[in-house]
Amino acid sequence: MKINRNRTPQGVLKQFSDLIRQRKDIRWLLFWLAGLLGLWLWDSIFLNPLAYELIRSAIVHTFVGASAAVAFSLFIGWSAGIALYFLENGRARSIHLLLMFFLNLIRSIPQIVGLLIGYIILTLLIAFGFLQSPLSQILWMAFVISIFCSLEVLDLVTERIMHFRKSDYFHAMLCCGIKESRIINIEILWKNSLSHLLHKLVSLFGVAILLQCSIDFIISVGLSTDVSLSNFPVTLGSLLAKLDSKQDILALGSMLVEPSYASRILFQHLQGVSVAFVIVFTLLCVFQIADGLVRQYDL
Amino acid sequence: MKKKLIDHAFSILFVTLTFAMLLLFGVKGETADQHKNDALVESLVHQHAIDFGNPLHKSLFKETLNLFHPDQRAKNDSLLQAIDSYRMEQFTNQVYKTGSTPKGLSLQALLPLAGMYCNFILIYVVVMAISYYAAHTAAIYYFVKRKQRASSHPMTIDTKDRYSRLRITGNMTVLVLQTVLKGIAYLILFAPAYIIAYSLKSTFESGGYVFMIVLGVISNGLLVTYAYKFYTFLLNESRKGYVQNAIVKGLNNSYEWNTPDGISFLSVLKLKKFFPSHVFQHIYKNARYQYIPTMKQHASFLVTGLIIIEMALNIQGHLCYELLQDILYKRIDIALVIIFGIFLVVKATEVLVDYWFFFESQQYENKS
Amino acid sequence: MNMPTFNITIAKHGRNLVHVDDFRIDENKITFLFGESGIGKSLLAKAIYGLLSPDEFTITINGEPYNRYREKEETREIQQSSFFMFQEPSSHLNPLLTIGSQLNEGSLTGRLQDSGILQRLWEMTDAVDMKKMLGIYPKPYRPSGGEKQRFLLAMAFLKIEMMQESIPEHIKTFFVFDEPSGSLDNHFRDVFLSVLFEKFQKRKFTVLLITHDYSIISAVKTAGLNILNDISYKELSLKHNDLTLNNFKSEHYMSWVKIQQESKKTSVPAGARPPLLHVESGLEVFGRRLVISRDRKGGSSCPLEIHPYSMVYLKAASGVGKTTFAKTVMGLIRANHLKIDLNLHGTDITLTEDTPRRFWQSSVWGKQMAITFQHADEALNQNSTVRGTLSGLPAKKSRAENIDRMMNGLFEDSIDEIFLKKKVKYLSGGQKQRLNLFRSLVLDTDIIILDEPLNGLDFESIKRVLSMLKEKQKSGKGILLISHNEEIFDAIVPQENVYYLQASHII
Repeated sequence: MKINRNRTPQGVLKQFSDLIRQRKDIRWLLFWLAGLLGLWLWDSIFLNPLAYELIRSAIVHTFVGASAAVAFSLFIGWSAGIALYFLENGRARSIHLLLMFFLNLIRSIPQIVGLLIGYIILTLLIAFGFLQSPLSQILWMAFVISIFCSLEVLDLVTERIMHFRKSDYFHAMLCCGIKESRIINIEILWKNSLSHLLHKLVSLFGVAILLQCSIDFIISVGLSTDVSLSNFPVTLGSLLAKLDSKQDILALGSMLVEPSYASRILFQHLQGVSVAFVIVFTLLCVFQIADGLVRQYDL
Repeated sequence: MKKKLIDHAFSILFVTLTFAMLLLFGVKGETADQHKNDALVESLVHQHAIDFGNPLHKSLFKETLNLFHPDQRAKNDSLLQAIDSYRMEQFTNQVYKTGSTPKGLSLQALLPLAGMYCNFILIYVVVMAISYYAAHTAAIYYFVKRKQRASSHPMTIDTKDRYSRLRITGNMTVLVLQTVLKGIAYLILFAPAYIIAYSLKSTFESGGYVFMIVLGVISNGLLVTYAYKFYTFLLNESRKGYVQNAIVKGLNNSYEWNTPDGISFLSVLKLKKFFPSHVFQHIYKNARYQYIPTMKQHASFLVTGLIIIEMALNIQGHLCYELLQDILYKRIDIALVIIFGIFLVVKATEVLVDYWFFFESQQYENKS
Repeated sequence: MNMPTFNITIAKHGRNLVHVDDFRIDENKITFLFGESGIGKSLLAKAIYGLLSPDEFTITINGEPYNRYREKEETREIQQSSFFMFQEPSSHLNPLLTIGSQLNEGSLTGRLQDSGILQRLWEMTDAVDMKKMLGIYPKPYRPSGGEKQRFLLAMAFLKIEMMQESIPEHIKTFFVFDEPSGSLDNHFRDVFLSVLFEKFQKRKFTVLLITHDYSIISAVKTAGLNILNDISYKELSLKHNDLTLNNFKSEHYMSWVKIQQESKKTSVPAGARPPLLHVESGLEVFGRRLVISRDRKGGSSCPLEIHPYSMVYLKAASGVGKTTFAKTVMGLIRANHLKIDLNLHGTDITLTEDTPRRFWQSSVWGKQMAITFQHADEALNQNSTVRGTLSGLPAKKSRAENIDRMMNGLFEDSIDEIFLKKKVKYLSGGQKQRLNLFRSLVLDTDIIILDEPLNGLDFESIKRVLSMLKEKQKSGKGILLISHNEEIFDAIVPQENVYYLQASHII
C-alpha cells in the first residue's frame, strides 16, 4: 500500500478513508468497536442500572477470558511446536512419540467435553478452597480452553517449520553459521510467520468466545451441588442462561409471528437482546477481521 | 496407513483402560465421599430445632454458618443448596420411594442409553453429510460469484439518460436489500445454537429431529467455517500452475452461469459435482482431495455443536442432556460411559476419514 | 510485419511491478528474450497472452483496462491458436491426472496418437514404454524434472501441429516458451531446438522464447542455419527504474566466451598443493549410490578434490543428484559411506556419516565451508532487509574493508541506504541471486560450493559474478561449481578440474 505523506487534515482524512477502503481487517475492527460503543450508549440510556452493570461485567469477564485463552494457546502451541521439532530431530524420539500420542488423543476429544471436565475440576478445586477469586476462575477456564485451541497453533507452527525446512531457506541459514534455535524461533516463526499467527489468534479469539459462552450457558443447570454457581464470575453465557434473558431471546421469535413487536424488542427485552447481540456480532466481526487478514497478507 | 491404524488402536486402548480404571476405582471413592456429604446433610435435615421449610429458619442458619465460617461463604451456600436438593429428592427420587439404593451401571440403565446413543449417531451422521454437501456447494457458489465479479466491467453511468438513472436507483435498492438479507443470514449463521433455538422455541418444537438437524448444520458457525475453509482450498488450487496450463490448453475458463463455456448452476447443486471441459474441474478435484483430512476437525467441531444443542436446550431423552444430568446427580459411572461413547464416535470418524484419504490417494499412486 | 507495440503497466496492491513502453515482438519470427530473473519477462508475456487475473493484478495495456484487452479479437485469436509453455514444470502438471490425460484434453484432444512428438522428444520407439509413461501421475520425483519439462514441450508442439493443420494463416499466433531448457541437459535442449526449427520451417509462427541460458545462442547457430534471418535476440533490462527492451548482440556473447576459453589456456595450474577438500566417491543417499569420475560416460571412479587457487566443475545430467551431492558434502543430508577430508590451515579433519551435527555447526558451516543454494527466493529471508540478511553472520573483522568492495562489485555501485533498507522480496530476481552469492562470499571461507550461481542473471551480471569468483580463486580459495551453463564454465574451468557424477540404484 502506498503511503501518502500529506499531513494536512484533509490529507490525513483521505489517508484514513483509503486505509478503511483497502483494509478489510481494519474496517471490520472499527465496525466491531463502533457496534460495541453503540450498544454501550443505548444500554446506558435504556437499560436499568443493575442489568447494565451485569452486562458490563459479563462483557469484561468474557473478553478477558477469551484473550487469556488466546495468549495461553499461543504460548502452549509455540512451545509444543518447538519441543516436538527438537525432540524429533534429537535423540529423544520415544518422548516425541509419546507427546504426539497425547496430542492426538486431545484432538479426539470434543472441545465441549473437555471444557465440561475442566469445569468439574474447577468446582472440585473451589470446594477444596482453591481458586477462590473470580480472576483465578476465569484464568483456569481460559487455560482449559487453550488446551484445545493450542492444537491449532501447534499445527500452524509445525506446518511453517516444515515449509521452510523443505526449501533451501533452512539449510542456507544453517550453512551461514546461524544457530538452529534462532532460525526456528526468529527467522521462521517471528519474521516469516507473524501474519499467519496473527490470523490464527484472531480466529481463536472467536472460538474461545463461542466455547466459553456455550459452556457457561450449559452449566447453568449446575455441575455440582457442592459449589454455588452464584459465586462464579458472570459471563455472557451465564447471563444468557438466566430466566429473564431467555425470555428476551424468546421474544425475538415473536417478531416472526407479530412484526409489530419489533418496536419493543430494543426496549423491553434489552438485557437478553444485548447479550445475544454482543456474542453474535463479535463472532461475525472476528470472522471478517480474520478474512481481511488473509487478503491483506495473501495467506 | 498401518502406522495411523496402530496409532488409533493405541489411543482407543489407552482411553478404554483409563475409563475402566476410573469406573473401577474412581467411582467407589466418589461414592464414599457422597455418603460422607449425604450423612452431614441428612443429620442437619433431621435436626428438630431447624425447620428448613421455614424461610426465617433458613436465613438464620445461613447467617450462623457465615458467622462461624466467614471464609467459606461459597461452601456455606452450597450446603444450603444440598439441603434443598436432598429435601426435594425425598419427594421426587424413585430410589427413595422404592427404598432401594441406586443401582449405577446395569442393563436397565444401559438399554435406554443405547437407544439415545443410536439416536445421537444418526443425527450426527445426517448433520455431517448435510454440512459436507452444504459447505462444498456454498464455497463453490461463492468462488464462482467472486470470479464473475472480477471479470465484470465497471458500470458506466450516463447521468443524462433518465432510464439509466432509474436503473441505477433500482440497482441501489436491490443492493441495499441484498446487504440487509446478507446481514441477517450472517447473524443466523454465526449465532450459537441456543440463541437461535430460544428465539424460535415457541414457534418450533425444539426436540424434533428436523429442527435439531437444521440447527446443527447452520448454527455455531459450523457451516460458515467449513464453507470458508473449502473456499480457501479452491482459491489456493486456482492459483496453481496446472490451472494456468489447463487454460492454455483451451479448457473453458468463463465463470458465467449456464453459458456453453461457463459453469452450469445445476452442476454446483448436484451431489456428485462434475464440470466437464472446464478448468474448474481441475480446481474442484484437487481442492476436494486436499479437504478430506479436514473432515476430522469438522467432526470434532460438529460433535461439540450437537452436545451444545442437546445440553443447552435441555432436550430430554437425548444423550447429552442425559450426560449433564448424570454429572449433576453424580452418576459418574453412567457419565463416563456416555463420554466414552462420544469419544468413540469421534475416533470412528477419524479412522474412516483416514481410510477415505488413503483410498483416494491410492488411486493416484504410481504402481512401480 | 510486426505485432503491435505494447505499453504495459502491471501493479499489485497498489505497487508497480512492471512498466514498459514500446514492448514489441516480431511477428512470425523466433525471438529469444534474455534478461535478469524477476524483471518481468514472464509477467509481460502472460499479460500479452491474456493469462493474468484481473482480481489479482491491476493491468493496463496501451491505456486500456485489462478486461477490455482480453476481450479483443486479437487476444482471443492468440489464445485459440497458440500455447504458453510455463517455467516450472513440476507445478504445471496436475498431480491427480495421468500424464496421458493431461496431454489429451482441451484443444489437444485426440492429437497425441497420430503425432510422433513424444518419440522425438524421448528418442524412444517402444510403444509399451510410452504407454507406461503416459499412465503415471506426476509426483515430485517421478517423472524427473527434465521429463516433466519435455511433457510440457510436447503439449506446446501438439498445439503447434494443430495450429498448422487447422488454423488459417492470417490468424495471429504467439507461442511462448518460458525457460524451456531450464531442466533439460544440453542434448535434449538441442533436440527441442531442432524440433522447434523444423516446425517453424514448415509454417512460420510467432515465438517468444524466454531464457537465461546464453549458451543457447551457440546451439541456435549450430541447429538453425536455415532460419537465422528469422531469429532475433532481445534483452529486457532495468536501468534507473526504467524497463527497456533492446536488441542483444549475440556476437558479444560469442566473443566473450572465446576470450574466456583463451584465458583458461593460460591460467596457472594448481600445482602440487594438497587439496583443501577430498571427497571419496561412492556415497549412498536416498537409495542411490553417487559415483564420481573423470569421464562423461562413467568409467572408473575417482575422488573429487578441490585444491587451493582452483575452480572445480561438477557435471551431471538433470535429476542425477548434483544438488544432493553438494548438500551431502556440506553435511546437511546424511549419507552412507561418506568420507570427506578437509585440509585447512594445516589441520586435517575427516568427516563421515558419524560426525555429529554439533561439529558441523561449530567448525564447518560458515567457518571452513560455505554454500550458495540454487533458488535465491527460497534461500533468502524475503521479509528481511538487505542489511538484515547480512546480520547474524559469523563476522571476521579483517574482512570488513573487503565487504564494501565486493558489494559494489556485485551490485554495480548502486549501494545506498535505500537499497540496504529494501526488503529482499522487493529486489529483482537478479539482485536476489547476487545477494544470495554475496552472503556466502562474505563469509570468506576456504571452500565455497556454488549451486547454479548464474541462475537468473543477465549477461552483465554474469560477467561481474565470474570476475568476483576469479578474484576469490586468486586469493587461494577452492570453489566447487555446479551448473547447467556448460558452455560458460567449460570456458573457465580447465578440463583437469571437471568431474562427472553418475547415480545408480542400490539394490
